[in-house]
Amino acid sequence: MKNLFSAEPRASTPLGGLRGRLFVLSMMTFVGIFVAVWVAVISADIGYTTGEAIDQAIHSPEIRAALWLSLWTSGVTVTLGLLFAVPMGYALSRFRFPGHAIVDSIVDLPIILPPMVVGLSLLVFFATGPGRWIEEAGLRFVFQPQGIVLCQLLVSASFGIRAAKLTFDGIDPRVEHVAMTLGCTRAGAFFRVSLPMARRGIIVAGILIWTRAFGIFGPVMIFVGTAPFKTEVLPTTIYLELSNGRIEAALAVAVLMLALASVALVGIRMIGLRESS
Amino acid sequence: MIRTEQLRFAVGSFALQDVSLHVAPGEYFVLLGPSGSGKTLLVECLCGLNRIAGGRIHIAGADVTELEPRLRRIGYLPQDYALFPHETVAGNVAFGLKHRRLSGEERQQQTRHWTDRVGVTHLADRFPGRLSGGEKQRVALARALAVEPDVLLLDEPVSALDEYTRDTLCRQLHQLQRDTKTTTIHVCHNFAEMLTVADRVGIIDRGRLLQVGTPGEILQRPRNRFVARFVQVGNLLSGRVTGGDDRWLRIVGPGGAEFRAVAPPGGTIPEDLHYIIRPENIALSAGVPQETREGATVLNGAIAEVVDLGPLVRVTVSCGGDLDLLVSLGKREYNGRALRCGDRVHVSIAPEDVHVLED
Repeated sequence: MKNLFSAEPRASTPLGGLRGRLFVLSMMTFVGIFVAVWVAVISADIGYTTGEAIDQAIHSPEIRAALWLSLWTSGVTVTLGLLFAVPMGYALSRFRFPGHAIVDSIVDLPIILPPMVVGLSLLVFFATGPGRWIEEAGLRFVFQPQGIVLCQLLVSASFGIRAAKLTFDGIDPRVEHVAMTLGCTRAGAFFRVSLPMARRGIIVAGILIWTRAFGIFGPVMIFVGTAPFKTEVLPTTIYLELSNGRIEAALAVAVLMLALASVALVGIRMIGLRESS
Repeated sequence: MIRTEQLRFAVGSFALQDVSLHVAPGEYFVLLGPSGSGKTLLVECLCGLNRIAGGRIHIAGADVTELEPRLRRIGYLPQDYALFPHETVAGNVAFGLKHRRLSGEERQQQTRHWTDRVGVTHLADRFPGRLSGGEKQRVALARALAVEPDVLLLDEPVSALDEYTRDTLCRQLHQLQRDTKTTTIHVCHNFAEMLTVADRVGIIDRGRLLQVGTPGEILQRPRNRFVARFVQVGNLLSGRVTGGDDRWLRIVGPGGAEFRAVAPPGGTIPEDLHYIIRPENIALSAGVPQETREGATVLNGAIAEVVDLGPLVRVTVSCGGDLDLLVSLGKREYNGRALRCGDRVHVSIAPEDVHVLED
């Protein structure tokens, strides 16, 4: 399998002379600039806020509720997102069916579209016949916490599907063929060979879905509103605090989100992307 | 043990065309052909990895044409081995055993048995990423054999290895096949590899099975020009039939040299034809040969080139006109003669050694 998401060094370092070193330096310059800009921005956030503001944010019942809502909705979104991403990524990678190119393009739509459009489209959809029927059947989404999950899923699943497809593209179908000659059904070959081989890629797919879902703001505000203790997620809190002129509080929540995201990403990478051999 | 009848399969503009093949129980059959000839496609059809468009496939007497790969009782070793990177060596070998009703202990014993047989027991806890090419090949072989298949299908099993390892593994493959008596189809494009292992060989090109026979038959009696070139007959000549009788044809070849050839059985013989003379079947002498076989053609010429191939020496004798003949001598035979470029020599060729091709 192509090691698409390896944390290990990819290639040896051949002797390159002065030109070789200049080449490496030019590449690393871009890495340095990118990292420096982000470090500067995050440092400014941290520098601007105070320990007291962060402490207040942590102890505020409203922010705690928003934090909890953000965590559980994004968690459910990751689960549902992977539930779609793995089979869809596999199907798009392995099968050629009528409309394959169209499905491939539909998967990319949410990546290209402004997220706000997703919220607006959902609102319109649930105002029409099929949408109303779903709501009347008891599956309520508009202005409900479940709606947050729906927004997050529609916006972020595509990133997971794309990552999963790339991963399965990198797995030689012959390993499945061999498994099938060794007694596996086609599904057995998938579960016993391809899925374990795709582990790292699927973890990356999960990370992509989560990062996108955790930070989503526009479509959530349009589709479920900003009701405190009900549909207010952390990005909404930042917006509301800013709107009320409480910039320190907004920054405190932002720093909280940064810390949470950093811990989650580093943790997942350390646990999930370890080399197995 | 394995039989195909008029097997047909197409992918894009390429097609396997009416491939009929029979491999006997316990036989080591080599499918030999150039790259892109359809060898791998044919093996994949036998495995059930491609749904064939026509014909039937029988394994061990049963029609398996519509059966899934898992039900065909085959062992498959693909190019690059396709080891499972998330499983250890032992895990790879035991993979197929998990579908059998074996206790954990029996499974371990079987795994140990096959890792012992191919000599990889000391690597049992390693992952494939940390194995050499030869080790990977052995593990893949053990994995395929562990399920005790009726037929073992090896797709270029040693082509990615260096020459020494390839030769060693080919001999081990042959020995293992002799011990287990597993009917084996081995796909390759390497002539020397075929000679090391094959009981019989089939030559395939552009999706057609051109000739099946023992290595000796293929070498000495290739059916057509493609097979002759592919098995490197050495002297592939064209000529015109000028006469003949019940026993021999008289053929005038390049430079006006007249050869006698055993008339091929049945069918009409075209006036213009191609024929081969294997280099090892040409007798070379400094003077006019005193004894020749009945009907032999004797030509004189000059040595144009001498190439030392290790155990053999290849001598090119220029007989005038466009006729250059390759003659193969054993090293000892060559050393006793001290031949040099420019020496005048005679060559004699018996009619039985002039083989007329079908096209």
